[in-house]
Amino acid sequence: MKDLQAVLAAFYDATQCPVAVWMGDEKNPAALATAISAGTVLAPDALPETEQGPVATNGGEILTARLAGLKRAWMTMGPCEGGSRPLERNAKLLLPVVNQMLRTGLEMEHTAAELAGRYEEISLLYTISEILGRTVALEEAAKTILTELSQTVGARRGAILLYDRPTTMLYAVAAIGIEQAQLTSIPINDMGSVAARVFRTRHLAIADASESTSEHEAIYSRDTMLAAPIIWTSSTGSLPLGVVILSERETGQPFSAGDQKLVAAIATQIGIAIQNSRLVRASMDQQRLQQEMLLAHDLQMKLLPRPASLSADAEIAARVVPAESVGGDFYHLFRLGNASTGVMIGDVSSHGYRAALIMALTMSAASIHAQIHSDPGAMLGALLGSVRDELTTTEMFVSLFYGVVNRKRSVLNYANTGHPHAFLFAPDGKYERLPALDPPLGMVDEPPHAKSLPWHPRESLLLLFTDGISDARNAKGDKLGEQRVLDAVRKNRKEPVDTILEKVFESLRRFTGRTPLRDDQTLVILRA
Amino acid sequence: MSFTIRKQGEIVVVDVEGQLIVGNRQELKQKVLDELEKGEKRFLIDFSQTGYIDSSGLGVLVSLSKKIREQGGELRLANLNDDLKTLFELTKLDTLFQISDSRERALESF
Repeated sequence: MKDLQAVLAAFYDATQCPVAVWMGDEKNPAALATAISAGTVLAPDALPETEQGPVATNGGEILTARLAGLKRAWMTMGPCEGGSRPLERNAKLLLPVVNQMLRTGLEMEHTAAELAGRYEEISLLYTISEILGRTVALEEAAKTILTELSQTVGARRGAILLYDRPTTMLYAVAAIGIEQAQLTSIPINDMGSVAARVFRTRHLAIADASESTSEHEAIYSRDTMLAAPIIWTSSTGSLPLGVVILSERETGQPFSAGDQKLVAAIATQIGIAIQNSRLVRASMDQQRLQQEMLLAHDLQMKLLPRPASLSADAEIAARVVPAESVGGDFYHLFRLGNASTGVMIGDVSSHGYRAALIMALTMSAASIHAQIHSDPGAMLGALLGSVRDELTTTEMFVSLFYGVVNRKRSVLNYANTGHPHAFLFAPDGKYERLPALDPPLGMVDEPPHAKSLPWHPRESLLLLFTDGISDARNAKGDKLGEQRVLDAVRKNRKEPVDTILEKVFESLRRFTGRTPLRDDQTLVILRA
Repeated sequence: MSFTIRKQGEIVVVDVEGQLIVGNRQELKQKVLDELEKGEKRFLIDFSQTGYIDSSGLGVLVSLSKKIREQGGELRLANLNDDLKTLFELTKLDTLFQISDSRERALESF
């Protein structure tokens, strides 16, 4: 208003008549509070009801004129120096100039105030984005966000409620103006609750406290209440996550359109942050699980014995290729003394770390029982005794082949609980299947049976593999089949066992190409 | 992949469409156990529309068979395709179940 002040001063200099602009006081409409003036001005005793006209004051006569288009604003002129009466002509000349300048001045002040308000909102959005950007757990940031938001819109009471799927309730993660112990959860199907309605309809609502009839919501609603949905929107649709409630405005005034937009924008930001934090948490869990699986895989591979450790008694080649980082396939080798060698192949009926635990348990128990029981049936029976509880509680079972070759007595004893791929190759290349004698370990309580077959020392071959090999598929979906494995072994039966194993895996690779593994692949070949 | 349960006389018949694998075995188990809880005793699972059963699917069949037997009931299987039949034979699982080549024969056998 400096320009107006300068014009009034110039007028006073020229006419020696004091001039003033009076504006009403908003808080006390009867009084005139603000004056922009030049010279010694006198407040009028009473303002005229009419637009303009001379009014008497204690100090002499003054002229008054209402400033058109402005609420409770007048210009007064006089009394002039020397007691002369101000000229109405001068007043008429000055009035439109003052009117225009005052209006422009007031508009500028209003715009500046509005800009300041917007600035506050922008600054709030910025602050909240910053808080959310560096937060992983939303719960920690919720209180700060709510405090900033309620200060900006002037609400004394507020809460951020999130949806809990198992209980179908909206529960408070942060609140202001409410004691922690007073916080209540709101069922999403509560028909009397404004917040529950906003959650269901996904539309912002402004409601009078009387509209909220829910006892669960009573603590959150005072006077007028604003409830905005927290929504996460993706390319596949939108998902309601919770509600932001604000109530009990400091001014007692209803929430403005600007407030609504601001709260809706913040609610969207919160929605994105919630989803991000959930994704981050899930990804961290996933990462941790992967690390554990990797560790379990390392342990699992370390449990498998090295065939070279039995080289004095037998030629053995063995390989496990797990489909997942932790598989259910395994093999085991036992040096039993008296020219006897034990060999075992197994498949736990599942994958993942639980299957790996069963496998570890089976392998360690087998190491003990193989040294005690020379009969393979008795050994698997004892093994079942060790792992039965674990198999029952996990509903898993283990298909196992366990054979003992005694090259001095030229005999192969074996027990087979549900293992489908075990073959004995004679020196002439003829082979026979060593079929399962019992269902997989853990399916029945009866002790497994055993069988004996003649063995040609240094010539017979025992071939064991899991269905991950025979069921391996190519890009067209065809299975490799048992026959291709048997042909590869028969053709190379005179070669060292490592070579035979490589040939089988070569033909497997040729067949499947780059098709990913569906199941673990395990192969064991023994010559003794 | 889905399971259809219908009653034929005194027998609860379950059709398995697609595969019985680690991902859906619990659903089959729960459906059959629900019927068992209602007092049903005779169960037939028909695999005429089943291509593949993995080892955990087999585990559920064995566990269901045990639970049904404990309640004085019986679980029978029908219409295994050639691959599944071979699998049951090679793993000796055929000794744990009564398996029929057709639904009619299985229903008559109870």
